[in-house]
Amino acid sequence: MVSNMQTVLISELKPFLDALSEEMELYVPKKSGEHYVYNRYDSSANVQVEFNNIRTCMPVKEFLFPLRELAAVYPKPFEPKNIKPFAVFGLKYCDLRSIEILDRVFAEAEFEDSFYIARRDKMFIISSDCSQPADSCFCNVLGGKPFAQNGFDLNVSQVKDQFIIEVGSQKGKDFIEKHSGLFRETTETILADRDKNRIETQTQLEQNNSDLKFDSPVNEIVENSQDSVVYEEEAKTCVECQACTRVCPTCHCFYLYDNKKKDYFTKMKMWDSCMRIAYAEVAGGANPRKALGDRLRHRFMHKFSYFFERYGIDMCVGCGRCVDAEAGDVDIRKVLKKLNEELKGKDETKAEAAK
Amino acid sequence: MKQNLYQPINGGIVDIIEESPTIKSFVVVLEETFKFETGQFVELTLPGVGEAPFTPSSSPSDTKKMEITIMKAGHMTALLHDCEKGQKIGIRGPYGKGYPVEDFVGKEVYIIGGGVGLAPIRSLFLTLVERINDFKSVVCRFGAKTPDDFIYKNTLFDSWQKIDGVDIKLTVDGASGNWDGNIGVVTTILSAGDVDISNAVAVVCGPPIMMKFATMKLLEFGYSPEQIYLSMEKNMSCGVGKCGHCMIGKYYVCKDGPVFTYDEVKDYPNIWD
Repeated sequence: MVSNMQTVLISELKPFLDALSEEMELYVPKKSGEHYVYNRYDSSANVQVEFNNIRTCMPVKEFLFPLRELAAVYPKPFEPKNIKPFAVFGLKYCDLRSIEILDRVFAEAEFEDSFYIARRDKMFIISSDCSQPADSCFCNVLGGKPFAQNGFDLNVSQVKDQFIIEVGSQKGKDFIEKHSGLFRETTETILADRDKNRIETQTQLEQNNSDLKFDSPVNEIVENSQDSVVYEEEAKTCVECQACTRVCPTCHCFYLYDNKKKDYFTKMKMWDSCMRIAYAEVAGGANPRKALGDRLRHRFMHKFSYFFERYGIDMCVGCGRCVDAEAGDVDIRKVLKKLNEELKGKDETKAEAAK
Repeated sequence: MKQNLYQPINGGIVDIIEESPTIKSFVVVLEETFKFETGQFVELTLPGVGEAPFTPSSSPSDTKKMEITIMKAGHMTALLHDCEKGQKIGIRGPYGKGYPVEDFVGKEVYIIGGGVGLAPIRSLFLTLVERINDFKSVVCRFGAKTPDDFIYKNTLFDSWQKIDGVDIKLTVDGASGNWDGNIGVVTTILSAGDVDISNAVAVVCGPPIMMKFATMKLLEFGYSPEQIYLSMEKNMSCGVGKCGHCMIGKYYVCKDGPVFTYDEVKDYPNIWD
């Protein structure tokens, strides 16, 4: 019997994942090319589960706010139902922070999105530590970490050939207690090794981003950039592929469209992108953001200024997915750096003038 | 179970009024009780076709039916114009913040409107005249392309002008035949002396270009940005501050508007586009 149920140890992932998949639909990462993608776990297949050392290619929002979903049917009203419990294994802290951001929008008390809420309630979150941050990862600059702090049901850390599982919620605790026979006690040594790994990854992240330093808080830098020419300059290589917003775990724009079926009608909800030219256009043809630079400006202002002002957090977790997906040469880190330099220049000019 | 935000209330079109060559009013009856405040908007679904935001043009005190005045401007509105009485529709809403009528009490209400912008204004106008004694005056300055392009002609040219406490002046961009009113854009009939600016609010609704120049004129007269109420036309889609299409700066027009003071939106880029 394991005496401390808060952190437990297991040598193989398979029995743990098998137990999970018996209770709910389980999704696990699988390497595809250079990225990880999510696949439904099949306990009968004798395949080694991969422990993803980095975030997956597509963001966690896919599980809560799918690319396309049925939002309404008429004349007969429609409510979300039959959403089965599901678990996602291998989410990173940046993913968990993005869920916190999506919660602010879709679980807002005044207007709760029942589709999002239904999935969120049924989701079992198993996060894991990062061990090899990508060149594009910059979560540390925006208050993130390469390992989860909170927001998970269970967290898995690999230490050599063993896995430490930490409980983060009542749901997680119940699961571990129910399957206590699968787990062993952790030791001081292995926990110390885990902490050492975490510090190493954190150090590596900091080294990777050592040139990404800001002189003011990011939201202040962006708030002051409304008239900046940086956006026009940086948008020059944008090809409007909208990949930056698709892979973004926090971007949540969508549009509603209607369909005619045989004897009923549907309303669908589908991801949209503020980088698309007709995004803000109205029927009369007016469009406040015809220019690409204006759209890039809006994307940044929304992420770091408007959202921050409304909800008190940045709408970016520094996962760097947009940097990897970019077909042009727009790099969120470079834009922020340039805005920082621009603001610093302005402040220095002001200080000079005040002398 | 939480209520589905995206599910419209079923309803139907019971009457259609031709207001001008390009504008019709649709009288709508819904299967559920529906209440709104003047200036709030609704999302109207034409089943199988699409959904678009409109501000009702009737008074909120009429709870049996609602009127929505629509200009043929794009795909969906063109199809709506082809609809006949009996057409099934859906309504979501009401959404956003309307005109703060209580804040107008005791003041002169200076209303500037153009084209189909008279639709939200009609709802406000009817709301104000229902309790006209609560306001010092209701002063209207409306414009249209030609006399025929004015909507609500039956009442606008006649009974509204006879209401005590109401002063209406009209202008058209061009006219042939027996138009004896002003010719020129709406700003040509605005005058600093129309109302006592120190005890007035101004309400502007119309095409973006008209709203821009009317607002500039009001500022020139000495109105403060807080005194000018604008009904912003943006691409509202979800209506509940999530989908992002209607954002002006930090505001979701659908949730924080569609009525804003000029002061609230003036510092954001491209508000008139």
